[in-house]
Amino acid sequence: MSKFAKLGSVRLSWDTAIIGLLLLVWVFASLTTSNFLTPLNFSYIFSNTSEIMIIAFAMLFMIILGEIDLSVASILALGSSMLGWSYAKGAPIWMAILICILVGTACGFINGFLVTKLGLGSLAVTIGTLALYRGIANGLLGENTVNEFPEFWTSFGFDTIGKSFMPKTLPLIIIFGILFGLLLHKTPFGRRTLAIGQSPEAAKFAGVNVIRHKMIVFTFTGFMSGVAGVIYTFRFSTAQADNGVGLELLVISAILLGGVSIFGGIGTMWGVVAGVLLAGSVESWLTLQEINAQWRTIVTGILLLISVAAPVLVQKGKARRELKALKS
Amino acid sequence: MNFLKKLRPSSRESSLFIILIVAVGGTGLINPRFLTGDGTRDLLTSTSVVALLAIGIAPIVVMRHIDLSIASTVGLSAWAVADFCAKNPSFTWVQCFVIGSIIGLVVGIVNGLLVAGLRLPSLVVTLGTLYIVRGLVYVVSNSVDYNAQEMPESLLALGQKVYFGLLPFTFLMVIIAMILMALFMKYTKSGRDAYAIGSNPPAADLVGLKVFRRTFLAFVFSGVMSGIAGVFYLMRFAQVDSTAFYGQELAVVAAVVIGGVTIMGGSGTVVGAVIGALLVQTIQGGLAALGVDAFWKAAINGLLLIIAIYADRVLAVRNEKQLLTQRIRERI
Repeated sequence: MSKFAKLGSVRLSWDTAIIGLLLLVWVFASLTTSNFLTPLNFSYIFSNTSEIMIIAFAMLFMIILGEIDLSVASILALGSSMLGWSYAKGAPIWMAILICILVGTACGFINGFLVTKLGLGSLAVTIGTLALYRGIANGLLGENTVNEFPEFWTSFGFDTIGKSFMPKTLPLIIIFGILFGLLLHKTPFGRRTLAIGQSPEAAKFAGVNVIRHKMIVFTFTGFMSGVAGVIYTFRFSTAQADNGVGLELLVISAILLGGVSIFGGIGTMWGVVAGVLLAGSVESWLTLQEINAQWRTIVTGILLLISVAAPVLVQKGKARRELKALKS
Repeated sequence: MNFLKKLRPSSRESSLFIILIVAVGGTGLINPRFLTGDGTRDLLTSTSVVALLAIGIAPIVVMRHIDLSIASTVGLSAWAVADFCAKNPSFTWVQCFVIGSIIGLVVGIVNGLLVAGLRLPSLVVTLGTLYIVRGLVYVVSNSVDYNAQEMPESLLALGQKVYFGLLPFTFLMVIIAMILMALFMKYTKSGRDAYAIGSNPPAADLVGLKVFRRTFLAFVFSGVMSGIAGVFYLMRFAQVDSTAFYGQELAVVAAVVIGGVTIMGGSGTVVGAVIGALLVQTIQGGLAALGVDAFWKAAINGLLLIIAIYADRVLAVRNEKQLLTQRIRERI
């Protein structure tokens, strides 16, 4: 029992730390840059992180389960390419959107099938499907792009609601956030996710259908990647095969930054939201400082390393202090 | 005689080799040029970089780790070597290899310290260094490209050197590295330890294997091989920009896994990894000969990888069953 209480307190402190860090970044950024703390800039931060946020909601479950899906950005690209391709071929826009989301869901289902039914490792499989899905998008569109979409939908991608700073996509993200947050923290499904992450064996013997559970999580990760594909397409008003290259790494680093353990079993929704916003805010600050875009790749990498190293170092320090306390 | 028997590759590698011969033959049927000296030379030249990287990460994958930063390291090494040479026209191929190796060494040490020292998951660490190293290439290169004029003639001459009309210098180096590494993995304590660590990391720790040192050195080795692969890249393409070899780490992982190195660690050989690299390249060449659009290349790579993982899984399950039956039979 005491062990679990300890685990809980570590998690809680990391989550609070990340929210504190986010506020710190905001204070620092608004002190060093005059136009950071403006509605317009926050509108940019929200809309620039919208796909990452949407995918992160689902990927959170994946990483808590102890699995990983590296193919999400490729699913986004395949969905987006299908959207553009079918629209250019004369399908009505609602059908093209539906196709994008369905393709995403199907891709997620295939990942889930390969991992759970065939028993293959999710890391290796999704490296494969990462290449496969983007490759299909590439084969489908080649170097072509589709960028003629109805104005109603492109404005959904990058306009704000009325004169406020909220992007039109924000309500959708908030609804998804609340839904997935409740799912993780307030339902048996969420408890089972955490249980499987702590110990798949124990969860299995406690009567959890681990295979079906993983299947569901893989499928809705695909679904959310499809939704992100729709938003991405309309935000940039382009459907092309190299949409969102490397986005999977941004999603994973934001999630780990939010205090989710890469070893599974630990993670919260608010931590992830703070993690995504933190990464987005740092990026926004770099842009406002007119720091060369090329540095951002390095910053992303360093953030990823910090996010995975910090919890380990914190726990090591804690263990060392406990050892000292025991000795004295 | 006994020694020769021991050197014979196990059944996995020989069956891969047969598949490779079938693939080469099949491609030859469609495009007879593929079977000529020129065709073989092209295949070997274009496989050299990936094959060298495959030798570099095979021990890491055997240890149940992964190194995704290799492609970025190739990019950094290739660009930096070209840059040094452009600024010092007196440099020859010797300095190129020294600089490339040092750059790879540094990246390898960073990866090794983070993975082995802090015991962080190698997937995430090397994803991070993938970004950082590629970012460094972007920043230091400042969109400057280099062409053949800025490179040492001795290096380019070496890149075009061909033995017996079909064996390029770079692939000769790959073969030498492969043989040395295969012997190392099979006959030294460090090599055997790698398999033990990959089969069961906690057990390897408990029996007192030097997990830190072995893991650290494996990452350093992979880093150095990536650095040298960067020089190979220059020798092949004679030009470099900041996006050189971008995203190719997955092609290397695919080659290694197709070559029978299990992603779950504990089994596979360097010879298999090189055959895997050749096989991927041959299949790509074969499909190009069939008139399949180059845009499908990535999709085919992905599909091949998934098939390889699946085949590996099927073989592993069958193996386990065989062992189990054997054990039960012994009890009868």
